Amino acid sequence: MEEIRIVNISKEFDGFMAVDGVDLTIKPGELFSFLGPSGCGKTTLLRMIAGFETPLNGNIYIGDQDIIELPPYKRPVNTIFQNYSLFPHMTVWDNVAFGLKVRKTPLPEIKERVSEMLDLVKMSDQHSKYPDQISGGQKQRVAIARALINKPEVLLLDEPLAALDLKLRQHMLIELMNIHDAVGITFIYVTHDQGEAMSISDRVAVMNRGKIVQEGPPDDIYERPSSIFSAYFIGETNLITGEVIGIEDEYVQLKCPMGDGEFFEIDSTFHFKPEIGSQITVSLRPEKIAISRHKPKVEDDINLVKGVIEDILYLGSHTQYIVTVGNHNIRVFSQHKRVYFDDAALDWEEEVWLFWHDTDSWLINELPDEDRMPAEGKAHFPKFKKHSSVLGDRI
Amino acid sequence: MKSNTNSSKLDYLLAAPTLIWLTVFFLVPYFIVLIYGFLTPDIFDVKFEFNLDAYRQLFEGTYFRPFLLSVKLAITTTLLCILIAYPVAYLIARASDKLKNTLLILIIIPFWTNLIIRIFSWRIFLSYNGVLNDILLKIGLISQPLEIMRTDLAVIMVMVYVYLPYMILPLYSVLEKLDFTLLHAAMDLGATEVKSFFKITLPLSLEGIFAGVLLVFIPSLGTYLIPQLVGDQRSLYVGQVITYKIKNIPRNWPMASALSFGLLILVAIFLLIGYILLRKSKVRGVV
Repeated sequence: MEEIRIVNISKEFDGFMAVDGVDLTIKPGELFSFLGPSGCGKTTLLRMIAGFETPLNGNIYIGDQDIIELPPYKRPVNTIFQNYSLFPHMTVWDNVAFGLKVRKTPLPEIKERVSEMLDLVKMSDQHSKYPDQISGGQKQRVAIARALINKPEVLLLDEPLAALDLKLRQHMLIELMNIHDAVGITFIYVTHDQGEAMSISDRVAVMNRGKIVQEGPPDDIYERPSSIFSAYFIGETNLITGEVIGIEDEYVQLKCPMGDGEFFEIDSTFHFKPEIGSQITVSLRPEKIAISRHKPKVEDDINLVKGVIEDILYLGSHTQYIVTVGNHNIRVFSQHKRVYFDDAALDWEEEVWLFWHDTDSWLINELPDEDRMPAEGKAHFPKFKKHSSVLGDRI
Repeated sequence: MKSNTNSSKLDYLLAAPTLIWLTVFFLVPYFIVLIYGFLTPDIFDVKFEFNLDAYRQLFEGTYFRPFLLSVKLAITTTLLCILIAYPVAYLIARASDKLKNTLLILIIIPFWTNLIIRIFSWRIFLSYNGVLNDILLKIGLISQPLEIMRTDLAVIMVMVYVYLPYMILPLYSVLEKLDFTLLHAAMDLGATEVKSFFKITLPLSLEGIFAGVLLVFIPSLGTYLIPQLVGDQRSLYVGQVITYKIKNIPRNWPMASALSFGLLILVAIFLLIGYILLRKSKVRGVV
């Protein structure tokens, strides 16, 4: 098995840099995801690996071989297309056998390998059906079998689950992971769905505007986002801007304006040393914040702010509170796994205390810029009306 | 289509005018033509006496040559139309939306002019002192004018010209619907461009080819006007023979009728063969 090296690759469409100088190394056998909003260049990058787009410049190596000059049919990669692209005039069996047939494999071998592949994707009993006679999930399996039968070095998956409904998507995700374990080759997975990318990948590259914003294991990107974009795109987060007013050995102090001349303070551990007086951003995941109507006993390494509940959204597995602290709307997720501390559920307009550990405020050396937010992220800050009454109808 | 009794009654009611029209003005005349085939010829008209001479001559092969010529012409025209129309239809299907419309209009424009006028302009174009010979002489490709007019070649040229749009349009409608990512998929799986064409594009456009063949082959088989106006008068096609039997005195209506039905049966046989071939190829998915 070979490593894939993408070296300074760019692609231009009518003056627009779809992919802009991407460098990337994908380890052999890895399940690697390109994650980003639509238009970020992830699919273009994938299509350049597959050979359907010619890059402006740069090279792609599989092992020591530069594949950039090779036509698609000579590259050791196979693709799962977004809508599967099964051949409608061929049976499942013929679809899967296609790659071997065009390579003039002897018929006994074709028969053996096709039945092996159909077993792997559990489609043996459907082999004589046509694509329009099987379900979306089954088409997906056939597409996987049709690609893997060619024993590619790399399997490229272009939003493979986008056309399936939620339950089936979750199911196919697990199947894909099992198939990846079974065949052991490198998978490159393109998706805009952070949940898919997080759950399936060994490593993720977060992309925006043709560039890789951050790459690493999913938990690393979630817990330690290097930019506002990755903090915002992966999971949900609160972004609070503040001025650095003190740096201790293990934490920095931030003074955060509340809009009305008042301030609150946040302590945070840090992974880079900001300058005193500089403006930086804190990313605070909603599930890391505790919420209570009684002021808790605070220890040194706990942040505490007071706010008013603006809105409550019941989401089944958890409730989302929107808490106003000055001009900030801070979102808090509270799971329903325990009885309430104080016997009664929180209510609209109640004064509450929010508290979280120092290590849970994560510093990002950037200031929020509306322009650079992912579109999906912007939608997360709706203007809430006061006294929105029914819980369910908004969700 | 599902329909309850009420709506199916309505369906019949809505279809009634067309059905009546076709029965009266299509089936009835056909029936009259059929009967004429079994009557006795007279100088101008027919005598109402039963007579099988016309069909006897038909099956004895007296008119074998015109039938053979017509079939040859129809096959040649159809094949040339497929070969020329396919790349054109493919190009239009893959063109940008704006260019696509322009090209389609260009193909439809000839329909705006009467067929006879267009054939006459071909006569001017192909004749001994015509435009084509002029050009070829001027650029020095030939030293004396070519005799193209009144040859079988001229017939084929004009036939292809007239029937080409009927092949392009159905092919275009199939190719336009073709999912071109299938070609990417084929190439991804190891097929070269040529192989993906023969394994994917061609099988998926068979229905368009079949529709085009119907539209070109059947009318070519009975063509009269084009060989009459530009053809070699020594090669008579079935359409011409039928006309002469009615036009030239002594008239022979029964023979004209028998020849027409011979043509009809021939078309039916070709249709059946085509239909069976199409079914056998198991074309699915498109259309």
